[in-house]
Amino acid sequence: MEAYLLNLVILISIYSILGVTLNFIMGYAGIYSLAHAVFFGVGAYAGTFMAMHVNASIFVTLPVAMAAGAILSLILALPALRVRGEYFVAASLGLQVLAVTIFSEWKSVTGGIGGLIGIPPLDVAGFEVFKPSQFIFVTVGALIIILFIINRLVHSSFGRSLRAIRDSESAAAAFGKNVPLIKTISVVISSALTAVAGVLYASYLSFINVESFKLDTSVLIMAMVIIGGTGTQAGPIVGAALLLLLPSLISYLDFLPQTEIGSIQQIIYGLGMALLMIYRPGGIVGRKKQSETGKE
Amino acid sequence: MLALQLTITGLQTGALYALTAVGFSLIFGSTRIFHFAHGATFIIAAYLFYFVNVSGYGLILGIIAATAGAIIFGLLLNRFVYVPIQRDEGSFFTVFVASFGIGIVVQNVIGMVFGRGYVTVQTPLSFSVELMDGLYVSPLAWISMICAAIFFGILWCFLKYSQMGKALRALSDNPELVRVFGLNPRFISACAFTIGSILVVPAAIISGATSGLNPAMGHHVMLISLAATIVGGIGSVAGTLLAGLALGLAESLALLYVDSQWTEAVTFAILFLFIIVRPSGLLGRSSAH
Repeated sequence: MEAYLLNLVILISIYSILGVTLNFIMGYAGIYSLAHAVFFGVGAYAGTFMAMHVNASIFVTLPVAMAAGAILSLILALPALRVRGEYFVAASLGLQVLAVTIFSEWKSVTGGIGGLIGIPPLDVAGFEVFKPSQFIFVTVGALIIILFIINRLVHSSFGRSLRAIRDSESAAAAFGKNVPLIKTISVVISSALTAVAGVLYASYLSFINVESFKLDTSVLIMAMVIIGGTGTQAGPIVGAALLLLLPSLISYLDFLPQTEIGSIQQIIYGLGMALLMIYRPGGIVGRKKQSETGKE
Repeated sequence: MLALQLTITGLQTGALYALTAVGFSLIFGSTRIFHFAHGATFIIAAYLFYFVNVSGYGLILGIIAATAGAIIFGLLLNRFVYVPIQRDEGSFFTVFVASFGIGIVVQNVIGMVFGRGYVTVQTPLSFSVELMDGLYVSPLAWISMICAAIFFGILWCFLKYSQMGKALRALSDNPELVRVFGLNPRFISACAFTIGSILVVPAAIISGATSGLNPAMGHHVMLISLAATIVGGIGSVAGTLLAGLALGLAESLALLYVDSQWTEAVTFAILFLFIIVRPSGLLGRSSAH
């Protein structure tokens, strides 16, 4: 039971990092990305590559993974953010599909469909972290640091510019804000921090393959953010905890077929997304409908 | 000879892509609803046809079931999801997320009912005939192209001459003016959804016999539809048609140079190129900003 809980908390904190970083661009900048799992995967593969072939110290793996995520996101963001939101949705969906092909074909780095096994444990300043009871401090610590960074960004002038862009791009532009530049920077920051989650995930499981970085994962992360509450601090964490607890909750219901748990989970969050958008677009943590808080 | 073979296969794929993409483009262009569940309409129609066919009720009933299923799904979604959302907020992304959620539900329900693997509709029409030395074409290739030609012919006449077609084009230009003019935008939207959903049906049925069906293919359908809409120019039906054909051809001809798992990369490369070089698309009217 203890091992089960430790595992759950570690996974929740890793997915919370993914949710919090996606929320940063989705909730504060209004950029909807279907490629978040790509940056998660790039972080995981880049960190693993360094750990297996160069050095397992987090002072090597983390910076390399973050740089890889940042560079790739720059390639996506530079063209796709000069134009309207629909274009980014399409471009990120395309990148996600392309990345899955690359992850399964570039065998020398990603191990192909079989994946990579025997990933060395996390090396924090010469101390090897592999027991779940120790790892939990690393992941929760990373989550707190990332939350702190994003919190500071959101409450800085940069964060105010982001929200201005989300609410009205033309107004922000008229106010002298360089809209494409600000959006691009936010995507790069978000992707670099997402890569951190990838490194943690890879060394925690000591095994990765392309299955973890498919479109389904991008969708799951997006569902976590939306159900928890876009544009709120606690929302993505609530969403991550809720959606990761869902499979175990479903398995308590005996009348449901156990082989279909994955599908039932997806049906529940798919319905949840649609219903929330109709009745409560702010998510669980977010505000109620705008019309109820004084718009009318 | 290989190039000619791939051109014909490409035209077949392209015709189906064009039909699906034009359905999405018509809905998005006229109502501004980012109908991401368009891929779900596709798999609903495809699996309904497959189910009726496997149960032994034949072709005609299968086509009727698929068409009815697609129209009902489109209209219900419009009435119970999009209309309520648009009533009090209607931001582009709220609609997108809701539509996306419904797409996930449909994909998994179909996966639970029919299984998550590939299924194929068995028909003698998918057997290839040797036309020339080394050139194999199945009757389905001609059926796809003829189907596309007929559907686009009807659609063109409809948009150009009928009262409703004019109203649809007016709605994409200026919804307020349509209301002032005394037309009901809600009714026109419902029409857009009906037509957009019907356009998916031939592609869904023929794909079931050629490439096979799988509950997760809705995302691929959406990627193609989005890419064709953007490459063709948002709001331009003719542009989307051309772009759909071109994407199908490009995917097929790319096989001359790369392995088949990279075909989606070709679509992505073309989409990206257009976003960089010409974001307003082939025949786009409005600016992309």
